[in-house]
Amino acid sequence: MAAAVEHEWKKGSAELLILSLLEARPHHGYEIGRLIDVRSGGTLHFHVASLYPLLYRLEKRGWIQGRWVEKPNQRRRRYYRLTSEGQRVLAAQRRKWREFAGAVGRIAGVEHA
Amino acid sequence: MPEWKLHIRKRLAGLNLKPESEAEILDELSNHLQDRYDELRAAGATHDEAFREAVAELDGTDLASELQPSEGNTPQNPVPEGAPSKGQLFSDLLMDLRYAARTLRKYSGFTAVAALTLALAIGANTAVFTVINTLLLNPLPVEKISTLTALNTTQAKKAAQLGDLQALSFQNLKDIRERTHAFSSLAGHSSPMAVTMIDKADPHRVFMELVTANYFNTLGIHPYLGRFFLPDEDAKPGAAPVAVLGYAAWQSRFGGEPDIVGRTIKLNDVPFTIVGVGPKGFKGLYAVFGPDLWLPSMMAEQVLPAQQQKALSDRAVPLFTGIGRLAPGVALAQAQAEMKIAAAALQNEYPDVNQGQSLIVRPLTEAAYGPERQAVVFGGAFLMAIVGLVLLIACSNVANLLLARATVRRQEIAVRMALGAGRARLIRQLLTESVLLGLLSGVLGFLFGYAGCQLLLSLRPAEYAQNLADLRIDPVVFGFAFAIAILTGLIFGIVPALRSSRTSVSEVLKEETRTAGRRRGRFTLASALLGGQVAVSLVLLVVAGMFLRSIQHQYTIDPGYQTKRLALFMLYPGQAGYDRTRTEQFYKQARERMANVPGIASVSWASNLPLWGRKETGVVIEGQEQRKKSEAISAVVNTIDLDYFSTLDIPFVKGRDFTPNDRDISAPIAIINDTMAAEYWPNQDALGKRLQVPRGKEFLQIVGVVKTSNYQSLGERPQACIYLPLRQNLSDSMILYVRTQQDPSTVIPSVQSEIHQLDPGLAVEDIRTGTKVIDQALWWSKIGVELLGVFGLLALSLASVGLYGIMAYSVNQRRREIGVRMALGAGQGNVWRLVLRQGMTLVLTGLAFGVGFALLLGHALSRFLYGVSASDPVSLGGASLVLLVVALVACYLPARSASRVDPLVALRDA
Repeated sequence: MAAAVEHEWKKGSAELLILSLLEARPHHGYEIGRLIDVRSGGTLHFHVASLYPLLYRLEKRGWIQGRWVEKPNQRRRRYYRLTSEGQRVLAAQRRKWREFAGAVGRIAGVEHA
Repeated sequence: MPEWKLHIRKRLAGLNLKPESEAEILDELSNHLQDRYDELRAAGATHDEAFREAVAELDGTDLASELQPSEGNTPQNPVPEGAPSKGQLFSDLLMDLRYAARTLRKYSGFTAVAALTLALAIGANTAVFTVINTLLLNPLPVEKISTLTALNTTQAKKAAQLGDLQALSFQNLKDIRERTHAFSSLAGHSSPMAVTMIDKADPHRVFMELVTANYFNTLGIHPYLGRFFLPDEDAKPGAAPVAVLGYAAWQSRFGGEPDIVGRTIKLNDVPFTIVGVGPKGFKGLYAVFGPDLWLPSMMAEQVLPAQQQKALSDRAVPLFTGIGRLAPGVALAQAQAEMKIAAAALQNEYPDVNQGQSLIVRPLTEAAYGPERQAVVFGGAFLMAIVGLVLLIACSNVANLLLARATVRRQEIAVRMALGAGRARLIRQLLTESVLLGLLSGVLGFLFGYAGCQLLLSLRPAEYAQNLADLRIDPVVFGFAFAIAILTGLIFGIVPALRSSRTSVSEVLKEETRTAGRRRGRFTLASALLGGQVAVSLVLLVVAGMFLRSIQHQYTIDPGYQTKRLALFMLYPGQAGYDRTRTEQFYKQARERMANVPGIASVSWASNLPLWGRKETGVVIEGQEQRKKSEAISAVVNTIDLDYFSTLDIPFVKGRDFTPNDRDISAPIAIINDTMAAEYWPNQDALGKRLQVPRGKEFLQIVGVVKTSNYQSLGERPQACIYLPLRQNLSDSMILYVRTQQDPSTVIPSVQSEIHQLDPGLAVEDIRTGTKVIDQALWWSKIGVELLGVFGLLALSLASVGLYGIMAYSVNQRRREIGVRMALGAGQGNVWRLVLRQGMTLVLTGLAFGVGFALLLGHALSRFLYGVSASDPVSLGGASLVLLVVALVACYLPARSASRVDPLVALRDA
């Protein structure tokens, strides 16, 4: 039960996380996964099987855009960057998340006083 | 490097990805796994450990199912509110349709009532539109009708008016064809004329048209069987007795026998060979009435009555209407200009017959109705407006039902909105529902319309039903019904959809359905719709009432002769090959034999049918010949036998009747009516004065003056009429007038058998009683009134069902309030008054508006009403009364149920 709840939370916030990470600069898939891992201190971890489908979905919606980049002595990698529409969606999602988190916090009493 | 791709590919199986996108995914994912592997190895893991952990990244969730939606079209996450939905129209539409179908099934009672309501209105619209489509929009199945024109003779002075269009003589038509270039082809056709046809045994009366050989080619039509006329067959008078049969006549008279071509039939006792059958649906160029067969113009002498037999050579006999196909690049105005010049030339060459005449070119579409065009157009537009109103009532009825139901569905809608459905999306869903309902009604309505058309067809007078226009249900009609169904769905659906989708989610979800009280605004809209319905139904009822009263008045019109004891038989002795002496003998013998038949009071012959008189122009009055030709005197001319006036009860003003002594050897005489006497011999005695009939050769002395009666239509303005004695003006097609002692239908068989004994080869098909003549004259008006009545009643019943529905709904919504009132001491009477007041306020408001509209409309229609004032109190009062009674019943039932509300139950339930 707890796992299921966590899964849903993760799903709901995953879009926001990815869009935020790509705001600063483009990353490839592995970097995105690592960054989420590291910055959440290991709390959030995305498997390949859930991360990439999500990326493809966001790309399909036109919020992010992937591009193959080849660098000398490296494998070619697909880098994702935030589109202008993605930027608008990110701003909107941030605002909603703030409202939502605030509301949940006030009701559930988890927000610091 | 481990083979990542193998592992990944295994998990992508069954996704049917495109090869290139699969390659990319494999590339990217194996990159990821390799990165992970490298990292783990760098941290000191063994190959096996690192490999296992990296591959485990592929598990966790089912990769294939996660990828599925991203490859398909629907994102899993709800689209943010108001976000445009891209590329989903179709799948959404299917979903909406499925959902709508389910909803309609679920509320099957509502669906049935709504669909039936709409279907009745759509059916009425379809039927009327079919008539209009047949008669007005697409009357003739000919090629490129826009370049076809009709050519007629007209009075030069009145060229602007279309009042008195005449046919062209054959010689004039021939000259015009040879001298002018505006038309690439110029043909001519006569109007449908009666002939006697003998096929196997019995003689029949059929209608034929004489046409020039190029008639069918000019129209660009092709025979269904055989061929049309060859140029040779129309070159020498009387040379080629051939005929083209109409498709309808071939079907009805010859049972569609395939070997009809080559068959010989007798027309007016002359054998003709059928060479072809006309195309299906083609009944000549008059949209309303068409011939059974066509004959070459060169056969005129063989089939025409004696007066017209010189039609081919005599420039004074008008017979043909010209049909011209405009030459490429020639406009109507150019053709008209050339015809004017041609007319002037003809006038110079043949001043005695062409004096004062000009030519007029009109588009064939306009000419196709003859003089009745205006009436047909007006009638069509009027009926269309009426059924449009009926449809509007039905729409507002269904809109009201939807509004009422929206309250029930508020919860459902709120839940959908809470789940993320946007307003636009919801409106679309609701509109899909109403359009589907509209289409369902459209299908049903189309069937109703079809049945309506069959009913209309069955109302055609049986004697010449096959000559009248058929009603065609063609793709245009189908498209009309389809369009109207969709439009209807949108009209009645849009307002309820807009309103429903404005539901506030939190408000509704908090409430319980039962207490979801009506909101003021919604009820106001429903009331307005209902008031409108009442007003429109009243208008329709009043108009129907006015026309009904008008036709009643027309039946009481005294035509100036008796019709109750009258039977008429049309006979064409000339068409049986009689010569002059035999014809004369036949008229005499027939009268003598009839006089002895029991039940017959008196008998006479006349050339005109009652109300079918034709005015002839060119009467000359002795001493007044100086009038210009353009001011020519016209009068109805009727050739009659002895006892005509006594048979018809037409009284003499002065002078005497024709006697057996007035014969071809005695002085030529005439009788006129008092209208003519007063107009041309004012303050004088007309007796003894002399006049000349059109195309007459000598002056006739007036020996009697009779009272004026109706010659062309009932209640017409008094017209001049000249009666000529049969013995001085023999005609070979006459009508036998029989005055009976009892009901005229009783003597019809004995008259028929008497004539049959005289000559078995004579057709006696057209038999009418005097009252039937009146019936036929009023036939169009009667059909119109019946239609109006039907539509008015339809509107009334729709409006009353709507009223009942809305009152019942409102009472149901107010149960609790009523319960409270009763608990606080309100009696049953108070509740009665409460409900009735609410309903009847609406009705009375609608009624007031309706009376206003009806008065306005009555004024606009007053020139079509006979003997009824534009504000006819009987129609207004009667219609209002009917409407009030029906409305009272519609309110009574809900009021009764309201007064029976048990306060305890109502309060507890609430």
